[in-house]
Amino acid sequence: MATEYLPRLPLAFSQAALFGALVIVGLAAGEALRRYASLPRITGYVLAGAALGPHALGLISDDMLFDLRPLVDLSVGLIVFELGFRLDFKWLRANRWLLVTAIGEALFSFLGIFAVMVAFDFRPVLAAMAAAVGTATSPGTVLLVAHDLRAQGQITERLLLFTAVNSAFAYVLLTLLLPFLHFEHQASWQQAFFHPLYLLWGSLVAGWLACILMLRLAAWLGKSEERQFILMVGMVVVTVGIAHALKLSVSLALLTLGMLARNLDRGYAVLPVHFGHGSQLFFVILFVLVGASLSFSAFSAAAAAPVAALILVRFLGKGVALLGFGPLSGIRPGGAGLLALGLLPLSGSAVVMVRDTTLLYPAFGRELAAVVLSAVVILELIGPLATQFALRRAREAHPDG
Amino acid sequence: MDELAFGASAPLTVGVELELQLVRPHDFDLARDADELLRRLGKRKLPGAVKPEITESMVELNSSVHASAATLVDELETVRDAVLQDARVLNVRIAGGGSHPFHDWADRRIYPTERFMHVVERYGYLAKQFTVFGQHIHIGCASGDDAVFLAHVLTRYVPHFIALSAASPFYQGEDTSFQSSRLTAVSAFPLAGHIPFVRDWAEFLEYFMRMKGFGIVASMKDFYWDIRPKPEYGTIEIRVCDTPLTVRRAALLAAYAQALAAWHLEERPLEPSRTTYLVNSHNRFEACRYGLRGTMVDPYASRKTAIGEDILATMAKIAPHAARLGCGALVHELAAGVRAGDSDAAWLRARHAARGSLADVVREACTRWEKTG
Repeated sequence: MATEYLPRLPLAFSQAALFGALVIVGLAAGEALRRYASLPRITGYVLAGAALGPHALGLISDDMLFDLRPLVDLSVGLIVFELGFRLDFKWLRANRWLLVTAIGEALFSFLGIFAVMVAFDFRPVLAAMAAAVGTATSPGTVLLVAHDLRAQGQITERLLLFTAVNSAFAYVLLTLLLPFLHFEHQASWQQAFFHPLYLLWGSLVAGWLACILMLRLAAWLGKSEERQFILMVGMVVVTVGIAHALKLSVSLALLTLGMLARNLDRGYAVLPVHFGHGSQLFFVILFVLVGASLSFSAFSAAAAAPVAALILVRFLGKGVALLGFGPLSGIRPGGAGLLALGLLPLSGSAVVMVRDTTLLYPAFGRELAAVVLSAVVILELIGPLATQFALRRAREAHPDG
Repeated sequence: MDELAFGASAPLTVGVELELQLVRPHDFDLARDADELLRRLGKRKLPGAVKPEITESMVELNSSVHASAATLVDELETVRDAVLQDARVLNVRIAGGGSHPFHDWADRRIYPTERFMHVVERYGYLAKQFTVFGQHIHIGCASGDDAVFLAHVLTRYVPHFIALSAASPFYQGEDTSFQSSRLTAVSAFPLAGHIPFVRDWAEFLEYFMRMKGFGIVASMKDFYWDIRPKPEYGTIEIRVCDTPLTVRRAALLAAYAQALAAWHLEERPLEPSRTTYLVNSHNRFEACRYGLRGTMVDPYASRKTAIGEDILATMAKIAPHAARLGCGALVHELAAGVRAGDSDAAWLRARHAARGSLADVVREACTRWEKTG
């Protein structure tokens, strides 16, 4: 009897089925942690990913992770776009100390991590790159936790602003460090000179062009939230794709797009669109995949000391700048400490940053990953808790959030 | 009883309270930074005071006491600028207007004082829906009897104040078709309405003690009346105005109230009449719904007139008192606006028609509040 109508074993699942399954498992895990342990949902997504990932149950293989990379890029793109959209130049102009605090916070943690890494005998290039990556707070974690808690207020606003600034700082710095990486690998001076130039300006120009197009289209489409929502998602997706094709920095291009869309919109064509439920979907898949790619094997007794030191100086650098300059920018007493805690998360975007910047030199990438990714594993787990604690303690979380 | 001892104040002095919207610039929804803003403002020396209100998205600006509404303009501008300066540091914008066009009342959070917590506990969602923004005008009275007298005769002019100040055409994201939708939120409270028809302060006290005896009220604050005596300040308080879009208009309204009270206290052209309360609900509705173009029943002449025309006729009658009080020019300015058919509600609708979204309306209202004039 012919049985061709039955599927063959093993079953071949499509990408879509995999995507859906991951979203549902992540969602359930997040909700369970939330409900039974009062932990952030994001921690549930990450744990679900880690459990399914190649290092544990193995239901998500390394190949699948590779195949799903476009989704990670897309999710990171949406997140940094939304973050850029929250960065208000007018506020920075009206409150100069805020800019000083934001830059100080990024600079101090960069210098701190760099010094510690050098002290642990890492090569300066490696130390500087690790420090640059380590400077950035995870945009996704901060946005998701704030969104989940329905947090609102000064600490929340500043948390998002500082995250946007330290992310921009990290992207730009990583690019500027590229020549040193090239020199280390005996590349030509042309490559050392033009690569960062291409990467930096290319990403900025791509973001800017996309922004101009988006503003024109938004003005033409009119003030309909529905149409503008579709426009924004469309613009983000296409910009991610173009940045990819041109080998530019996806994160920098999208951050630029978000920032300029907010600040160049003189005619107020763009409506303040909240990604809302749509972006939640991407949040879930992103953090499940981040969880799956966490390499617990990166842990070793030898790495424990530098990683612990990295995490500590990163926190101290942020804390010192916030305590020093924060009050001048109008942070209420006690707010600076909470902000330093809130800025703790380091995650998915760091993974992407490491990958993007070291495409040319995979060996260096692995070296860098070994340092940074162990810190990511730890901060991926305690970061969301710290942010949640900070926002609740600041009384900015919604009572039902 | 002490709280009800009428602390007589200099007759016909004037002061205002303005409830303001705190707006966040990234989406022009309401912010919740009242606490931070008040903490900063607490370090400044300002005439009057800035106080918390029921939800964290509002603050209340209190002027000092003025002999003439004319000097109110400068003071309100000074205080407005100080508030704006501190608000800028926090990235918060300020707007006038009687309602926020699209905020979701369920998102509001109560400002945590004992009194406000009690209001929420008692009134539930009404308290959060009470995130509306009004102007209260205080007029000094020599005695409780004068206060009761003014409360009765000024009720005839309630539609005037509603129509002149109307600035809440949008509510919960919709055009309400009203000029002032704010008063509907006030009317929902069980103790809203008007003062009972008592003859004098002694009779009022008797009424108050009975209500207190029933356990219905604990203090004067529990009455959400349109016009209410405020024994603590020695004033009568007109509470039906929406907060206008500019501080200047707030001063114009105060000037009108001051001159109107002067006319009634000094010439006594009208005696309190129960008929006023027969027609009051109708007049109030007409003013809320149609503004200056509504019609009102004049309870003394027993005829219908257009609210705008009635205002202009009244302004002509009070002109000598306005001039004597030094606020003639302000009342003139208000009259010119009535003739031109201007209103804040119409301005807000025009901005919506021109820009196409309610976020734009809030942004432009913020810009208008920031400007002098």
